[in-house]
Amino acid sequence: MALTREDVRDIADYARIALDKRELDEMTSYLNEAIEMLQPIREYDLAGVVPTYHPIGDLCNVMAPDEPDAHGRALAIDVALGNAGATRDRAFRVPSILGNGEVDGRCQTSAS
Amino acid sequence: MPNISELSAAQIAYGVTCGDFTAVEVAQASLDAIEAREPEVQAFLEISGDLALAIAAKTDERRARCAPLGSLAGVPVAFKDNMQLVGTRTTCASRMLEHFDSPFTATCVQRLLDAGATPVGKTNMDEFAFGSSTESSAFHRTCNPWDTQRVPGGSSGGSAAAVAAGEVPIALGSDTGGSIRQPASFCGVVGMKPSYGVVSRYGVVAFGSSLDQVGPFGRCVSDVALTMNALVAGGRDPLDSTSQAMSAGFLDNLEQPVEGIRVGVITSLMEHEALSAEVRTALAEACAALEAQGARLVEVELRHMEAAIAAYYVIGPAEAFSNLARFDGVRYGFRAPDCATLAEQTARSRAYGFGAEAKRRQLLGAYLLASGVYDRYYYPAQQVRTLITNDYRDAFMRCDVLLLPAAPTTAFRFGEMSSPTQMYAQDLFTISNNIAGNAGVCVPIGLGVQSLMPIAAQLQGPAFKDHVLLRVARALERGMEEAGRMRPGVVAPAFARRGGVLA
Repeated sequence: MALTREDVRDIADYARIALDKRELDEMTSYLNEAIEMLQPIREYDLAGVVPTYHPIGDLCNVMAPDEPDAHGRALAIDVALGNAGATRDRAFRVPSILGNGEVDGRCQTSAS
Repeated sequence: MPNISELSAAQIAYGVTCGDFTAVEVAQASLDAIEAREPEVQAFLEISGDLALAIAAKTDERRARCAPLGSLAGVPVAFKDNMQLVGTRTTCASRMLEHFDSPFTATCVQRLLDAGATPVGKTNMDEFAFGSSTESSAFHRTCNPWDTQRVPGGSSGGSAAAVAAGEVPIALGSDTGGSIRQPASFCGVVGMKPSYGVVSRYGVVAFGSSLDQVGPFGRCVSDVALTMNALVAGGRDPLDSTSQAMSAGFLDNLEQPVEGIRVGVITSLMEHEALSAEVRTALAEACAALEAQGARLVEVELRHMEAAIAAYYVIGPAEAFSNLARFDGVRYGFRAPDCATLAEQTARSRAYGFGAEAKRRQLLGAYLLASGVYDRYYYPAQQVRTLITNDYRDAFMRCDVLLLPAAPTTAFRFGEMSSPTQMYAQDLFTISNNIAGNAGVCVPIGLGVQSLMPIAAQLQGPAFKDHVLLRVARALERGMEEAGRMRPGVVAPAFARRGGVLA
């Protein structure tokens, strides 16, 4: 069954991508076309076929000691924060997470 | 004095090591070629001139104090703009990362620098590597140096075009479904996707984590082998859990004859209805060139090849959706201003930051992973992946390498692909290789008799038999040269001598 505009709006909400009306129409049309292209996947007899999730899946997982900065990977605070749009002291700054719209939670550019 | 684009990477490294010219002179010649050729090619998103000259000067200092020089001493290289290099931005050709400064350097980049290479810039690509033409770059298009009315292919189109235009002798790209091999084919250069795990992805912005692999472009097979040596010489990278060790002996047996090597051909693919007549003819010549050197052609089958596109466009978007969830406008990337809640900030940041194709792939991935849909597409796609992998296993019991088309046609014109799904069909001959994790390489085999654009043959080999694959690639290159079809090292004629004199 084809996806409706409402279905695609729900998918976009889930994907956290705000779409305008024109985009919603375009994406509805695209998704239905793309899903049609995927149908061959459903035409094979796959009973008993073990899925392969990874090309080298039969190899062991790689473990590392639980120690900080074993390879000098930890970024300096200023580097780690350097690409963020809003920061305060040693932290990334975000608007209200629970959605109560507190003014203090609003985005502010590089407050520190 | 020679022009920079007449020299291979090996010749440049040799010349710098012997003192025929300095690394700074080479860097200046490369930057000069870039300045003269970029207005028409537009392969680069960022030219790192100061960084290039500073690193080249260090190479010259090393030589002055008789310190050992690396195998890529003074060789100008370009990196696809999804690879981190401190001192440059890493934009992925996206508004999302337009101002993103690389906070660390990717292992693949560092290994070329460790071998003495000079980084001249970051190259254009389809946004987040979603595409086959580089047209989805948020910043500008890149033109094919063989005909600037045509696309360079993608997603690593900038890297392929920079090498084809003679701006650099080698460049790195990444290949999730053909993104090194197809642009190499369109631009008449050699492009290799190593076996999954051979090259570290640490510091490369992820697209499809079970598919992505980094690899080199060069104008001849031996430069690709030289670059592969530098990429693997440091051994397994502990910073990438999928990284595998591989010996750096790519040049050792490169010139060995291929007598007795079994080359698998799949008739249904060599005669596929999507193939243009000129590509079909050129592929027949490529087979003949290997046969003339004693290789044996054997008929093999990949029974589930036709399902590869469907499997790929389930697995790829699903993995892309997971990977790109990190772009939330908080830690890095575009942040929409004046939002009341985090959810609103995330949705608006992603709406502005991502272009149309990046949105399409993520929405498709989000849908495919949704409860109830997962069992209909994602799980079966991974089962089909098993079937494709088994097909390859069976085929490689009967042959050492496979020879198949790289792309259905030569490079198409801008805007010619009218729909996203039409563009996806471009990947028909390349994506099964990523699904199985095998090695693949495209070798130029001449110009199309109708289009006068480059055509390549694609060779695929079993996982971790990358050395054998490159040896056959070299034999094919040699054969096509002897047949007068393609000269290794050739630069797109319109750009060959513009700027770039090694003074």
